[in-house]
Amino acid sequence: MDTLLVTVLTLQIALVATVINVPIAVGLSWLIIKKRVRGSFVLDIVASLPLALPPVVVGYLLLILLGRNGPIGGLLNSLFGVEVVFTWVAAALAAAIVSFPLMARTIMVSMRGVDDGLERSARSLGAGPWRVFFTITIPLAYRGILAGVLLGFVRAISEFGATIIVAGSIPGRTQTLPLAIFSRVQLGDNDVALRLVVVSVALAIVTLALHNWLLERSQEESSVR
Amino acid sequence: MTTPIVDFHVVKRYPGFTLDCQASFESGVTAIFGASGSGKSTLLDCIAGILQPDKGHVSFQGQRLYSSTDKEHVPPDKRRFGYVFQDSALFPHMDVKSNIEYGYRLTPESLRKISTEEVISLFQLSNLLSRSVRNLSGGEKQRVALARALATSPDLLLLDEPLASLDGSFRGAIIRYLKSVHSTFGTPMIYVSHSASEVMALADHMLVLREGRPVTYDKVSSALVHPGLSEITDYATLENFLEAEVISNDGSGGLTELKVGEAKLIAPATHRSPGENVMVSITAGDVILADEIPSRMSARNTIRSTIREIHALDYRALIYVDIGVQVIVEITQASLTDLGLKVGEDIYLIIKTNSVVILDAAD
Repeated sequence: MDTLLVTVLTLQIALVATVINVPIAVGLSWLIIKKRVRGSFVLDIVASLPLALPPVVVGYLLLILLGRNGPIGGLLNSLFGVEVVFTWVAAALAAAIVSFPLMARTIMVSMRGVDDGLERSARSLGAGPWRVFFTITIPLAYRGILAGVLLGFVRAISEFGATIIVAGSIPGRTQTLPLAIFSRVQLGDNDVALRLVVVSVALAIVTLALHNWLLERSQEESSVR
Repeated sequence: MTTPIVDFHVVKRYPGFTLDCQASFESGVTAIFGASGSGKSTLLDCIAGILQPDKGHVSFQGQRLYSSTDKEHVPPDKRRFGYVFQDSALFPHMDVKSNIEYGYRLTPESLRKISTEEVISLFQLSNLLSRSVRNLSGGEKQRVALARALATSPDLLLLDEPLASLDGSFRGAIIRYLKSVHSTFGTPMIYVSHSASEVMALADHMLVLREGRPVTYDKVSSALVHPGLSEITDYATLENFLEAEVISNDGSGGLTELKVGEAKLIAPATHRSPGENVMVSITAGDVILADEIPSRMSARNTIRSTIREIHALDYRALIYVDIGVQVIVEITQASLTDLGLKVGEDIYLIIKTNSVVILDAAD
């Protein structure tokens, strides 16, 4: 029962993190790769920063921002009287930020694979930028986008360092699989720890298998052209 | 002169290259001609609106599409120009039919002058419609790209080297299609090319570009012999692309009889049946001029023609002759002097059978 609860909570947090990330990652990739907006270079670095930072640093920065005296946390507290820190929402935000670079970078690669000439040609046929995005860019990049989403999801499942700082490790509320394993190991409860490890490994294998399959298909697709 | 179809002054700067070109195109088919890197495609993209110039203006039939002073830029999807790319740029996730219908569906009903059925039959695509565009031949791809662009009933058709990635025999077929597009729908075209032969076959006027600057804008026959062209054009290999009708195709001698203009030509055998139209290519340097018919010779074709223009260039000369259609012949200056050719006089063209190349790829 305990295992199921932890698994469900982990999936919930990872899912919410992924749902938050998808529109941002797709939009940002489009701005950087297709629109090539001014400042793309800086945007790219900012988007990838959580990948290069220790997750603990991300968690600490989030804690400062979301804490009761932080700029965002203070605002939320005074407006709605809610506190985000040490809730599953904080865990989802931490997982979102840490998993963002993996998702965004994979999506960027898939969008770079869509020939600009096809988008230009769609424009010349009377399609506006939004239509081009939804009828040309997305359909041609969707396998890579899905692969990026899965990669982000699998990273969100395994998030530990940022989560423990900003959300703690509260059983039933913020304790995800990695946090539960850590706490069980510390308590010397090896049986439960191992059970959770098996669940972790299974989730990772399934997601990665799906990810690899999608990526292979998308490469086949672009190589036929 | 009527109102120009396209009028522009475009300045576009890149590191190490500046396009600075001003011209007014008349209706009909206009070629933008130049060596690679001369700025042809950049200019076409500026007219299409795919690229925004740094400075200048672009108008279509008096209507302003771009102006740097008024900070005006009509996006490409609002210009109603068809654009055919060198690599055809077909959408790989759609079949042939969906590709053709993509722009047609986006064309407001009141502006639809050409139906998809019309373009499908013009480009003979009916048996390809459900095919994936991935496994089409180069010629088929370009036919679909042309059909797709035309299905939007464009006010102007922009063609960026549509034949450059095709084999010779496919080129003949596409040239024939392009000619029929113009005669069927009357759509004005701007045709970018680095091949003088294609320009000669298709265009009425040509703008010659060199390192981003215009060299000349004139009728093709005059622009072709402009001194600025001699370094980018090899006149001896200039091909005359001529429309021909198969008259008889008797297998016995391995020869085909063709009608080109008012002349009959003998060419190597083709699988095309009598009555069918084909494109033939005759290289300007492969034609011999003679003021009388030699009594016995191996060449099968002796055609009486009238000299229309004579252009002396360096130590070569281009002779424009009329056999019902115009044919360009390249000879040396010495031959020109020896023969004493004069405009208006008749002369015989002597052409070997093998020099009449039928471009009959059944694509």
